[in-house]
Amino acid sequence: MRQLRIFFRVIIETGIGVRRSGWSNWLVVSILAIALTIFGCILQVTMTMKNVVTAWGSQLEISAYLKDGFQPKRVAREISQIPEVQLVEIVTKDVAWDEMKATFKVASLANPLPNTLHIRASNPDAVEAVAAKVKLLGAVENIRYPLKVARKINELRNFIEIAGFAITAALSAATLTVIGNTIHLLIESRQREIEILSLMGVSPFYIKGPFVLQGAAYGAGSATVAIIVLAIMHLYLDPYITDQLVSLAPFLPRNIEYEMWQTFGILLGLGVLVGAGGSAWTSGRYIKI
Amino acid sequence: MIRLQNVTKDYGGRPALVNVNLHIALGEFAFLVGPSGAGKSTLMRLLYREETPTSGSVFVGGVNLTRLHKRQVPLLRRRLGTIFQDYKLLPRQTVFNNVAYILRALGVDEKEVAKRVQSALSVVSLEHKVDAYPDELSGGEQQRVGIARAIVNGPPVLLADEPTGNLDPATSLEIVQLLERIAERGTTVFISTHDTTIVNALRRRVIYLKGGEIVSDVDSGVYELESNLNV
Repeated sequence: MRQLRIFFRVIIETGIGVRRSGWSNWLVVSILAIALTIFGCILQVTMTMKNVVTAWGSQLEISAYLKDGFQPKRVAREISQIPEVQLVEIVTKDVAWDEMKATFKVASLANPLPNTLHIRASNPDAVEAVAAKVKLLGAVENIRYPLKVARKINELRNFIEIAGFAITAALSAATLTVIGNTIHLLIESRQREIEILSLMGVSPFYIKGPFVLQGAAYGAGSATVAIIVLAIMHLYLDPYITDQLVSLAPFLPRNIEYEMWQTFGILLGLGVLVGAGGSAWTSGRYIKI
Repeated sequence: MIRLQNVTKDYGGRPALVNVNLHIALGEFAFLVGPSGAGKSTLMRLLYREETPTSGSVFVGGVNLTRLHKRQVPLLRRRLGTIFQDYKLLPRQTVFNNVAYILRALGVDEKEVAKRVQSALSVVSLEHKVDAYPDELSGGEQQRVGIARAIVNGPPVLLADEPTGNLDPATSLEIVQLLERIAERGTTVFISTHDTTIVNALRRRVIYLKGGEIVSDVDSGVYELESNLNV
């Protein structure tokens, strides 16, 4: 109960601290909201690009040509047991021959085509591995798949991931700096008060806690503003972006995933974490008890 | 209650205290006097662990402060009441909140806070000023708020570092008499001062510090060193 009362008092002290900070609250929240909105946009773009690339990669197919005398259905069942395989489509030699005859003028001769399986992996990373496993099967005569494209797609996805991580790190550092400097200024302006509290025997948790919570509140407030801005953008800009992307690359699915909730969650979590972390670090450094 | 054993404190080769030995018993009332730069404030700062000695040991309430971990310092300070020359009141808090602050920080419930604050303010006769802010009070009243804050948690030791330094002689005497009354209730009161009037008026134990050394320690002393040496 006593601990709960102390925590409650720390929250009240935080409120008093926020109220005393006056106009600087708005300044900090505005700067952070801008940084988090930019970050949210970049995060959104990288996540969408990743989804687009993944969707593009999921179109990649492995064609496996079977030896004569093997049942395509049985081989297809065997291949579908491979964990990374998402879909196996059977094109029997008769169907393929009929299609060929319908498309081209071919001489009347015995069907030379093999039974074929079209295999799709669950993600572009797995294409190469699935192809290698399929090739090892005794029933498979030969396989074909766009190896270079698969590798390029994977490289692109990796690049997007690394770029996203680098941008996250850079913006987190910028946010940390803004929050750290603000809390530093607040600490400086309340240095005498901190000295008095320390001499009275007030615990470091009670003295530093309100600054840490104030930083977390800045982070949460800024993230909320950024989320509102991004939600508005999502509502009005995303349909237009989808149209543009699909018209540029018709093979892309129309239902591109924008992962808005994930972005909002990351923004809020990052805002609070960086806010509290930046303040905790600054309090630890500048409040000497 | 307070014990210093062979305490030396120097700041980069400049000695502030040299081999000081001192014992103040529970419930005792004592003055620490001496000229400016004698080491009075350094000694007081050692007692509330704002400083640590270069050598020797400092005990308060049986606790060896030289071995006290940094994390335990707030616990020590809660067991001490400290009064300062510049009052050190929170300027944006009312009298009530200044006195209540430490109790709230310790998680004491509001009813108990109100009771203890009222009691402390009645000791210093400031019950009628609960809603005033420090800058609305006279120097003497501010120091009385400082005393109320120092005693609100019922500490066994009260340290006062030049408590009358900013006050006129009449108010100074009032403040020291108030501290004397608090000592009569069993609290150890240790006052550092260079205020001749109050020391001579009370005729209590006087410890004279000069050049960082205790040069005289008499039970019913006066401020003037020579008079004490002739006791």
